[in-house]
Amino acid sequence: MEMLLMVLCMSVFGLAVAAIAFGAATRPGPSSSPVQPELQPVKPVKAVPPGRFFADIVLPPISPGSHVPTEVLLAQIENHVRLEQAAAQSFLESPSHSQLHTKTTSVFVN
Amino acid sequence: MAYEQPELLKDLTAEEAQLILALGTRIAVPSGAFLFQLGDPAERLFLIERGRIRLTLPMQIRGRQEDVVVEERTSGQTVGWSALIPPHKFTLAATAPLETEVIALPREKLRKHFAANPAVGYKVTLNLAVVIGHRLQLFQAMWLRGMQRMVEKNSA
Repeated sequence: MEMLLMVLCMSVFGLAVAAIAFGAATRPGPSSSPVQPELQPVKPVKAVPPGRFFADIVLPPISPGSHVPTEVLLAQIENHVRLEQAAAQSFLESPSHSQLHTKTTSVFVN
Repeated sequence: MAYEQPELLKDLTAEEAQLILALGTRIAVPSGAFLFQLGDPAERLFLIERGRIRLTLPMQIRGRQEDVVVEERTSGQTVGWSALIPPHKFTLAATAPLETEVIALPREKLRKHFAANPAVGYKVTLNLAVVIGHRLQLFQAMWLRGMQRMVEKNSA
C-alpha cells in the first residue's frame, strides 16, 4: 500500500513538472523582460555592415595615389613632362594634327 | 676645349660676342643650389657655360609644395630672360642638379651696351626672341596635348 502511494505521488509530481515545462515551452506571449536587454546589443551590428561595406567600396578609388610614395609620384611627373616635351618638340619639327596628338606612354596619365 | 657660341650670341662676330661676355661675371653654382627663385627680381640673364639648370614650378602634391621640373637647360643655352622682359620678375625657379657654371649678364650693362651698339642689340634680341618663341611653342603644344586628354577623358 505504501509502495502504491509513493508511486502515485511520484507520478503526480512528474505529471505536474511535465505540465509546467510544456506550458513554458509552448507559451506564445512576449518574452520576459530580463531576456530582452540581452538581445538589444545585437542591434548595432545590423547598422554597421551596410555603412562599412559602402565605405570600403568608396575608398579604393580615392586612395590609389596614396599608395605611391611622393618621390615616386614626382619622378613620374618629371618623366611625364619629359615625354610631353619630346612629343611637343616632334610636333614643332613637323607640325601636323597626328604629330600633335600622338599617344603617350607616360604612366602618369595611363 | 672648343667653346660653342651660346644661343644668345648666335650670328655675332667673335669680337662682338667677346664684348658681351666681358660684361658678365662667371658664377659657380654648387650642386643642388638655387640660381634664382620664383618671384625674385630678374636683374641678370644667365648663359650656361658648363653643367645643367633645372627650371621648376611649384605644385601642390598631397598638401605639400613640390618643385616640378618643367624644362632643363644645358651648356650654351640661356636662362633668366625675364631680366630683359618686363616686369623683370622670374616666373620659374632655377636650380643646378650638378655643379654648374654660368655667366651672369646684368640687365643694365646689357641695356647700355645695346644702346651703344644697336646692331649687336638687334642680333641678341632676335636670338632672345627665338629662345622665348621656342618656349612658347613648346608649352602651347604641351598644353593642347593635356587639354586633348582631358576632353577625351571627360567625354568618354
